[in-house]
Amino acid sequence: MPADAVAVRARTHGGALLASELRVLFRRWRTWAMLAALASIPVLMAVVVRLSSEPPGPGEGPPFLDQVTNNGMFVAVTALVVTTPLFLPLTVAVVSGDTIAGEASLGTLRYLLVAPAGRVRLLLVKYLSAVVFCLAASGTVLLVGWAIGVALFGAGEATLLSGDTIGVGDAVLRSLLVGAHVSICMLGLAAVGLFISTLTDAGVGAMAAVAVLTIVAQVLGQLDQLAWLHPWLFTHHWLAFADLLREPVVWTSFTQNALLQAAYVAFFGALAYGRFSTKDVLS
Amino acid sequence: MARTWSRWLPAAAVPLVVAGSVAFAAQAGADELPERTPAEILTLLADRDHQPFSGEFEQTSDLGLPQLPGGVELPDDAAGDAAAVTAVLEALTSDHSGRVFVGEQDQARLQVFETFGERDVIVNGNEVWAYDSGDNSATHTTLPADADATTAAPGQQYRPDEVADHLIDAVGPSTELTVREDVEVAGRAAYDLVLTPRTDATLVGEVAIAVDGETGQPLRVTVTARGEATPAFEIAYTSLDPTAPDADLFEFTPPAGADVEEVAPPSDQGGDASASAQHPEPSVIGTGWESVVIIDAGATGLGDEPLLAQLTTAVDGGRLLGTDLVNVLVADDGRILVGAVPLERLQAAAAE
Repeated sequence: MPADAVAVRARTHGGALLASELRVLFRRWRTWAMLAALASIPVLMAVVVRLSSEPPGPGEGPPFLDQVTNNGMFVAVTALVVTTPLFLPLTVAVVSGDTIAGEASLGTLRYLLVAPAGRVRLLLVKYLSAVVFCLAASGTVLLVGWAIGVALFGAGEATLLSGDTIGVGDAVLRSLLVGAHVSICMLGLAAVGLFISTLTDAGVGAMAAVAVLTIVAQVLGQLDQLAWLHPWLFTHHWLAFADLLREPVVWTSFTQNALLQAAYVAFFGALAYGRFSTKDVLS
Repeated sequence: MARTWSRWLPAAAVPLVVAGSVAFAAQAGADELPERTPAEILTLLADRDHQPFSGEFEQTSDLGLPQLPGGVELPDDAAGDAAAVTAVLEALTSDHSGRVFVGEQDQARLQVFETFGERDVIVNGNEVWAYDSGDNSATHTTLPADADATTAAPGQQYRPDEVADHLIDAVGPSTELTVREDVEVAGRAAYDLVLTPRTDATLVGEVAIAVDGETGQPLRVTVTARGEATPAFEIAYTSLDPTAPDADLFEFTPPAGADVEEVAPPSDQGGDASASAQHPEPSVIGTGWESVVIIDAGATGLGDEPLLAQLTTAVDGGRLLGTDLVNVLVADDGRILVGAVPLERLQAAAAE
């Protein structure tokens, strides 16, 4: 985009800045390609289960897959199980790693900073746009999962892990909760991505670093020798949303995760502020 | 840019705030409890009323055994005995968490959590349901009218209060009782009753039971091996809510599509349904901490189980599954000897 357009964009204030940032984000083909790829996961799963001659038995395939023939909405939950460890964080890594470094590598960062808006506001707006993407990404999986599941299997009763049966309304609520948990899980990662993005002028490098960190954190989470570290890894509660599918709901991991992600957002947000506000912006 | 360092202050402050609030949460002190002798605490334990509650528990084991890979698959033809042994091994070697709900006198529900699964035992009157989400199977038992459903149901080894009651029942003159400094468990101030064996002929160093200072409910059981500093086995409530749980929790209807199996009630009381139906009656040698349980499993060929062979080492007279707390000797004649005692005592018992 031309430099003067960037300058105009930056000169506007607060909400307008965020709105224009979001317009840029959702006008990119890359964003839509990633959302489409995410949407393809529930669609693929539902279609394969529908076409297969016999439905998956309990314990076969990803968790909850045997549930989808009873209640199509569980396609959304199964898709979230499958995408949370790698696919979803990968897309968040791309968006959050690109926030500052992408502008720097395009040479548009200094135009953004010409405006009186200031670096703190720019950082905030960049993070908020990454947050919106996190919500859009998990929301895409959830909504597409619901849609394709209900279309192919219909909505019906669902079985919770505890063996209790719930109706359609409760199933909607539970899968919404799962979606909320997954979205919250991505917030800490987005903050890490924002910080890494302030370290470099190479957007691709920042994206790769965030993606690698996601994997490293999950590998560390597998090592029993590091048990003391596990509760502090941002990936620790990623798959803990199973607790939301028990009867009654176990809130412990949900709230612990929310607190942990808040701490990550605060810490890496502060680091990003420290770095970005003292950085010499040359490009 | 003389003041650039101040821009990094927030980044330094956040970890301090986090560390501070974590430390504060851990600090929250226990209420003062009146001094009590061990005998008075035993009375407190024995006299407690039935109280509805719900609580989360955690069980950790560090027996010095290799942890079994999660979800060990038994061969399809594995007999009930091998399955029972694996179940016990799994219970002993891996960590568990879950919840307990206790309602009216004969209502209880136990949930043992797995990453994407759960096992439930629901007791309502004389009806006992067990549900496993892993294979979507349920078993149903109707107990005879005179049975105590809440203790006869399987899975009691996961409940801190039941475990404590069993241990207290076993306390005899061979045990010294002391009270340590008060502890806080699940947010409750509790007495720490310590059971120390008077004999050296056991691997158990001490057993500590945390007893709620107000209600007398056991909240935590830790078992420490002789000469070890950290507990080899611990089961404790992590949170406790003394209000009656929702009555619907005890009404269980197996989900559509589940394999439902009707199981006959156990013939003898207090036994695990599947185990007591198939196991030969075990005999016990010795008393108290030195007891050795002998199971005649010769006919089942349990000693040939590849899993058992992997975990055991060859010793005089058989194969040993040695842990810090319990030794299991699979004798050459097929008998299985189990005890919280040194290997020599098991070998001597086998030779008798």
